[in-house]
Amino acid sequence: MSAERALRVGIAGPVGTGKSSLAAALCGALAGDVEVGVVTNDIYTDEDARFLRSTGVLPAERIVAVQTGCCPHTAIRDDVSENLLAVEMLEADVGPLDVVLVESGGDNLTATFSPALADTQIFVLDCAGGDDVPRKGGPGVERADLLVINKVDLAPLVGADVALMVADARARRGDRPLLAVSLRDPANVAAIAGWVREELARHRAGTLVPADPGPMAPHVHAHGHGHDHAH
Amino acid sequence: MLSLLLADGRTPTGGFAHSGGLEAAALAPHDVAAFLRARLQTVALLDAAVAARACRGDDPLALDAAWAARTPAPAVRDAVRRQGRGLLRLALRLWPDAVESYAAASAATPRPVVLGLAGRAAGIDPVAVAELSLYDDAAAVAAAAPKLGAVDALEAAAWLADAAPLIAALADRAARPGALPAPATPLLDLRAQAHHDNSRRLFVS
Repeated sequence: MSAERALRVGIAGPVGTGKSSLAAALCGALAGDVEVGVVTNDIYTDEDARFLRSTGVLPAERIVAVQTGCCPHTAIRDDVSENLLAVEMLEADVGPLDVVLVESGGDNLTATFSPALADTQIFVLDCAGGDDVPRKGGPGVERADLLVINKVDLAPLVGADVALMVADARARRGDRPLLAVSLRDPANVAAIAGWVREELARHRAGTLVPADPGPMAPHVHAHGHGHDHAH
Repeated sequence: MLSLLLADGRTPTGGFAHSGGLEAAALAPHDVAAFLRARLQTVALLDAAVAARACRGDDPLALDAAWAARTPAPAVRDAVRRQGRGLLRLALRLWPDAVESYAAASAATPRPVVLGLAGRAAGIDPVAVAELSLYDDAAAVAAAAPKLGAVDALEAAAWLADAAPLIAALADRAARPGALPAPATPLLDLRAQAHHDNSRRLFVS
């Protein structure tokens, strides 16, 4: 039995880490049996939407751009109105869809999706952005449903230590899913698409409950270990 | 208190993504206050009059049509309908009984009609709803100005304070019985259409 609406997958992460490329790769890898639409949140242009249209992985009408009034963080977190509207209109116009990818504008390490917008979310980092980023943590690194460390093929060229990044991320995330990938490697893309298919199956079964990474890092108290608690 | 909730830019209805046509106007900072006041006396007055009538209990679907007939630019209609959808999400949460039938029947949901229905449900009188509608129009311009140009946000707040007597007078006029105003704003309309087709924009409208 199908869920009534598409699974909404958020893709967040800093500028230039490969969010649009990941969206394009997922569209390609899911094509055939999963109906996909994409909502992009560009900061200044509809460049991401145009990039996705130009890849030809989806019909142009399945890709819509949302303007965020200089507030990419607000648009995915504290006021998701424009994005929800875009998702609903996309589904109404071209639906029914199985998955809608919502790509955030490139932002900082604290930007994650509200559970009101994304059912599940991917946080994307890349080796070229510095191998100390997973150690810095933040809600996306620590608690996004999937952490992708992208551009491992560039690591030797930029002096990044992938093993260190993975170890730091593991220390932050525990057993939460983590993939170190190159989007140029079809097997890596298939692994991410496989994760999306699993989330879609949970969504359809009604067992997927959005797990909010939260807007902030967990508190650290004097005894030294971070933990979440409700206020 | 509920009128404050509806007027608060932090209330999540998507208003942050709109500049009230300011981005499309590409004005020098010292011209923005005049732009804000010009909007108040034209497009914002129409919206306020529609909101007041919806608040008073006029047929909201007839108001949808009357508003659209006085808003010739498709890009403006689209932007105001998007904002209406955002406000409708809030109203469906807070006052479902007051807006459910309208939400099901209206294909357009322009913001002024939704605001009038929400205001009525919240117990706000038509003049106050008109004032809220006018304030929101001006506040959208004032909030966008520091993001778009060399404008101190305190200066933008002062524009709003200075507009208070104008907004009060216009709210009274908007809530008066009689024919809806039909302002002609061809430059705003043309700019809105151009903005809609511009691939390098920060704001929806």
